[in-house]
Amino acid sequence: MAQSLAKEFTKGLWAEIPPFRLVLGLCPTLAVTKSVENGIGMGLATTFVLVFSNLLISLLRNVIPTKVRIACYIVIIATFVTIVELVMQAYTYPLFLKLGIFIPLIVVNCIVLGRAEAFASKNNPVMALADGLGIGIGFTLSLASLGAVREILGAGTITIWGGSPIFDMSNWFHPFTFMVEAPGAFAALGLMLAGMNLIGKK
Amino acid sequence: MREMLSMIVVLTVLASVSGGLLAAVKSGTELRIEEQVLKFQKAPAIESLFSDVTNDPLKERFNLETGETTIQIFPGKMPDGSMAVAFETLGKGGYGGDIGLMVAIDMDKDQLVGARVTTHAETPGLGSRAKDDLTFVSQFNDKSLDTNLALKADNGTISAISGATVTSRAITRAAIEAQTLYNDLKPEIMKQIQ
Amino acid sequence: MNNKKLTVSHAPFWHDGDSLFKKNLNFIIALLPAAIFGVLQFGAPALGVLALSVSCAMLWELIINAVSKRPFTIGDLDAALIGLLFGMMLPAVTPWWLVVVGTFVAIFMGKMIFGGIGASPFNPALLGMAILMLSWNMFFDFDTAYVNYDFDFTALAPLVAVKFQGAATDLFPLSALFMGREVGAVGAVFSLGLIIGGIYLILRGYARWELSVSFIAGIVITAFLFHLVNPESYAGPWFHLFSGYTMLGAFFLITDSSSSPVQRIPMLIYGLLAGFMIILMRNIGSYADGTILAILLVNVVSPLLDNIRPTALGKDMSNA
Repeated sequence: MAQSLAKEFTKGLWAEIPPFRLVLGLCPTLAVTKSVENGIGMGLATTFVLVFSNLLISLLRNVIPTKVRIACYIVIIATFVTIVELVMQAYTYPLFLKLGIFIPLIVVNCIVLGRAEAFASKNNPVMALADGLGIGIGFTLSLASLGAVREILGAGTITIWGGSPIFDMSNWFHPFTFMVEAPGAFAALGLMLAGMNLIGKK
Repeated sequence: MREMLSMIVVLTVLASVSGGLLAAVKSGTELRIEEQVLKFQKAPAIESLFSDVTNDPLKERFNLETGETTIQIFPGKMPDGSMAVAFETLGKGGYGGDIGLMVAIDMDKDQLVGARVTTHAETPGLGSRAKDDLTFVSQFNDKSLDTNLALKADNGTISAISGATVTSRAITRAAIEAQTLYNDLKPEIMKQIQ
Repeated sequence: MNNKKLTVSHAPFWHDGDSLFKKNLNFIIALLPAAIFGVLQFGAPALGVLALSVSCAMLWELIINAVSKRPFTIGDLDAALIGLLFGMMLPAVTPWWLVVVGTFVAIFMGKMIFGGIGASPFNPALLGMAILMLSWNMFFDFDTAYVNYDFDFTALAPLVAVKFQGAATDLFPLSALFMGREVGAVGAVFSLGLIIGGIYLILRGYARWELSVSFIAGIVITAFLFHLVNPESYAGPWFHLFSGYTMLGAFFLITDSSSSPVQRIPMLIYGLLAGFMIILMRNIGSYADGTILAILLVNVVSPLLDNIRPTALGKDMSNA
């Protein structure tokens, strides 16, 4: 039990890490990873939704009738997304402004619905929790690393939660602005995917 | 039949529970959200417009009903003793949605104090210059209220930001809306201030 | 029995019996007149940019070959050609690091990542240019780049001057534009040299005339229509034809064999579309010169155009 629990948790960190292995949820991945801060914020919001929707769907898996399961999942997911949205507005307003429309769009994020349908509806709550947490943290890590690559190349700095940059090379570096533009997101994601495949092949 | 019933019951229960939960969260966060909006969106613009007022516009704010919407009015006492108000209007049709513009108007002279962009989703480096670089919005400074605030291309008096005409046009729309709004509301504002 | 399957990609085939090396060498020779003129006009910095660009492009290809453990391919001169084309699109005073980064983007993201020569859906040199222009637009402003130069002709980049500064096209007589007496990229100013090189390539069969001719026709027709509607604000077709990157594009960029269609009719449509897009970008868009982005855009359309092809014999017969 403990072993399989650990397995469900860690698979989200490498073997099925979204969006690199599990190529789902590309919309927020491409759109918000202009900086590390945005990446982490988006990742944590998704993790919250993922964990609670997985838990609840797993608890209710014997109650929810199969024919309306998707509708039920969406109701549950949408509820948590709205809670995240309101809480972010109340406590991390600047971040909420940057993420904008992509917070409500977590509802249609394939990862969340995908985990609900493929995993939580077939497993017990503890396992579902581990799965949601693993995938969520994996997603956060991916977004943060993608954000880091794009922010370092595109702006020459890394700034987290206001304050002064924790990493700054902008005094000699001419920012490669392409990386923080939309096409740069595709290029950065593609190159990182290629890199991961190169490492994973061995 | 049983299955049908269970579908209806489960969905209804789920929906009502989530509705109740959301209502609770919403009422719990409402006040804080309003504070945050004020602090991060409107306060910087107001402070920049009313840099030398002798009162606290944020504290003395009041709401006015105009038809179906409510607008927040921020009164400011200018150093020369005249009264000014600031309020936000939305410019429709920016490149990335509507653009919020905080407009400050001197009520005694009936002229603009200035304008600042509050919220926008314009392209970084092009349209976003409307907010970051004050040369565009400073064109509104001290303009009399009967000036045509449209773009020069639209027979007005404001020159567009080069490469960001759409953004500039949306902002001028917001400014023009502020003009009409002010003309409609002036008596009421006067009443509130006294 | 011989069970081996002969797999062939779709027709038509076009081979003139030459090696890649010879083809690329001829392209480089054809580029030389314009490149040499650029060096003479803009001096030593131009030579530096060109030399750095060619050597960096070859070096990057060598490094990528080594890292990905594939046979070394710089011997076919393709990297050198990409480097030369790339260098010719830059202003003479481009900082060195910009050339290094740009050739890396061109070779790695434009060519090698898709599998090397013949496999890239975009013209590598153009991809490098486009990404650099998006990122470091200020280094591609020809007016500020040549601020320390003293020319005996109008020292304004023609397209920028006419589009944004409201200059009259009379400032730029056609003969001056044609003979390269204008401010611009190292290898793109000397229209005559580029035309001579391009005609040489077409006569030798290295470049397809359909592409160049339809490209020029697209520009002339579109620019003429704009000019007809409003001669005040839109420059005439000949001005567009001999300014900016147009001539370099017509003979050397759009004729890139891996990113252009293979059939005659698709080639004609492809060229026309590119010319049309360039004038649209110049006259309506927010960039002064749309050549680079327009050709990249039609690169994307190229696979679709390739669908216009003769039906294979017997393919559509229902009762065969």
